Amino acid sequence: MFRTSRTAALAALAAAALALSACGGSSDSGSSGGGSQGKTLTLWHYEGADSAMGKAWAEAVKEFEASHPGVKVKFEAKGFEQIQKTAGMVLNSDQAPDVMEYNKGNATAGLLSKQGLLTDLSEQAAKRGWDKLLSPSLQTTAKYDQRGIMGSGKWYGVPNYGEYVMVYYNKDAFKKQGIEVPTTFDEFTAALDTFVKAGITPIATAGAEYPAQQIFYQLALTKAARPWVDSFQLYKGKVDFHGPELTYAAQTFADWVKKGYIAKDSAGLKAEDMGVSFIGGKFPIMISGSWWYGRFQSEIKDFEWGSFLFPGAQLTPGSSGNIWVVPEKAKNKDLAYDFIDITMKKEVQNLLGNSGGVPVAADPSAIQDAKSKELIENFNKLTTSDGLAFYPDWPAPGYYDVLVSGVQELINGTKQPAQVLDEIAQPYNDNLADIGN
Amino acid sequence: MTAGRVVSAPAARVRAARPAVHRAPGRWAVLAALVVLAVVMLFPFLIVALNAFKSPAEYSSGNPLSLPKGLYLQGVVDFWNRVDFGEKLWNSFLISASVAVAAVVLSILNAYALGIGRVRGRLWVLVVFLVGNTLPQEALAYPLYYLSKQVGLYDSKLSVILIFTVIQAAFGTYLLSSVLGRFPREILEAAALDGAGRWRALWGIVVPISRPTLSVLLIFFFIWTWNEFFLPLIFLISNDNQTVPVAIGVLQGEKMMDATMSSASALLGIVPAVAFFLIFQRTLTRGVTVGAVK
Repeated sequence: MFRTSRTAALAALAAAALALSACGGSSDSGSSGGGSQGKTLTLWHYEGADSAMGKAWAEAVKEFEASHPGVKVKFEAKGFEQIQKTAGMVLNSDQAPDVMEYNKGNATAGLLSKQGLLTDLSEQAAKRGWDKLLSPSLQTTAKYDQRGIMGSGKWYGVPNYGEYVMVYYNKDAFKKQGIEVPTTFDEFTAALDTFVKAGITPIATAGAEYPAQQIFYQLALTKAARPWVDSFQLYKGKVDFHGPELTYAAQTFADWVKKGYIAKDSAGLKAEDMGVSFIGGKFPIMISGSWWYGRFQSEIKDFEWGSFLFPGAQLTPGSSGNIWVVPEKAKNKDLAYDFIDITMKKEVQNLLGNSGGVPVAADPSAIQDAKSKELIENFNKLTTSDGLAFYPDWPAPGYYDVLVSGVQELINGTKQPAQVLDEIAQPYNDNLADIGN
Repeated sequence: MTAGRVVSAPAARVRAARPAVHRAPGRWAVLAALVVLAVVMLFPFLIVALNAFKSPAEYSSGNPLSLPKGLYLQGVVDFWNRVDFGEKLWNSFLISASVAVAAVVLSILNAYALGIGRVRGRLWVLVVFLVGNTLPQEALAYPLYYLSKQVGLYDSKLSVILIFTVIQAAFGTYLLSSVLGRFPREILEAAALDGAGRWRALWGIVVPISRPTLSVLLIFFFIWTWNEFFLPLIFLISNDNQTVPVAIGVLQGEKMMDATMSSASALLGIVPAVAFFLIFQRTLTRGVTVGAVK
């Protein structure tokens, strides 16, 4: 009897819920489009509230509301995956936000621009001087041509921050072995040798995700110049996968594993494992991106650490961060342009820099924290020497997984470097054929 | 959506457990095996619970298995505030409960026609339902997206409720039809002799007798809908419409994961489903064994 009455109660409750939601549903779809024209700016991004970008953009929202009395900013925090999976659908509906953060690259922003879902920002970029604030290698990810390929054409996005790969090192461990910060590639390998002799595997990396392939690409870049990057990333020439750059990278990477610079068991590790092991002081060196910087600042307590650019390389994996885009169906485009402009201002950019991020248009003298200064100065060094070479997985859709398995084979020693190069050449060339190059 | 959703296992276990008390060493082996299995099943929950109460620095300096030094609640609190978790709970409850009720009603109506009414071509109808049930949701995403945009339901809870009512009812129809196919004819004939029409026989006879099966379906529909991620992710665009699993997805960054906050969110996410299960597990153990002549 007891059971029966409970199920009945549940059913009644659920029925009530159904009735409620039925009315809720219809009114929702009407109101969330921002009916009060020009009074609400809908903003989406997917950076954590504590991250450098999260803090800086929250400040930008405040400034925007102060300079636009009567306009409210409706900010919605999104997940990276949600934006990745649904952007195409949302932007094609009348639920599109006015301005949102989106992933740079051919497969993401490039694709949407080709489908006509993004607003052309060229005029605004010239009028508001964004084209002067951003260095050429940062503009690469802002512009897309009719095929949706980055590097030339119209402005469809505005990058607000940067990122690049560097060598993080444990200062205490370096001191213990009597090693100075290396400035040339030979000094760097000598330092690695010293650690191996002392029985320490020097480099923390992760073969199952992006870190190992970025080391591989960095090694290729030590032998490469800008035209090679333009060929590889922007299809401006032919890439020889058995040319000096990639042959050197594959060979050296395999050697590094043999010599014990890179642990064999790192093939199966994830980026998070790598970061945690560096924070835990288990490895003296980690070669990865600036996105770790803020976390290291707050979580490394037991030793001193620092960073330097990969010794002996003119080019480094890195690029602009994600970009602001204005959907073609946005209802308040002028407000969106104003908002983007505010995020490019010195105050917001400086805050981004002081919070552990890499600003694209900050005033270096306004950065107080010594660590943040080091981070930003290295980035500025790269942008002024046109040293950002993007990431190895960009050129073709699905290339990330191709590189993961290729580099894993190098770590495991299951394939010869030349075989691995053949393996990663195939999908790259298939993609070239697909886009008609 | 998988094939493994047969519901009779708990019932079988209860029945087997009773006489176990007196019997011999073999039973102990079974018990030991079950304990090992239980530990294996509970292990992920344990890790989640451990890490939910660690500070990020503590997580990074120790390892995922180390015991937290103190009770660090900030991760849970931060996550709750960041996604306005109360609202997400309500959304999830609203959607799951509506789907559960509507899908059960729809299933019983369909199954009455197919299982008892024996309409012509019922086998093919069932096959179609089964196919509908096995279609991957990824294949449904685009057609449903265009449909919902056409009728103005895109980004509303109602769209998700309708979609899942149909998906769950497809399974419910399939299951209930075979259950009702073996419904004792004598009872229905007796009812018909007493002058009950089809409508009356359904609500007065079939539904009360099948109630245990129906409640099991209701609970499973509720939990399955609660855990759905992909379609809600696509259809619930505004944050005020999102469900719990979608809100948990917010924490997965592009290159970064916040292990402690993810654990905190996972804990918050599973607690309601576990609580719901515990409250109604007695109903579940009654199983799908209906159709016995009273």
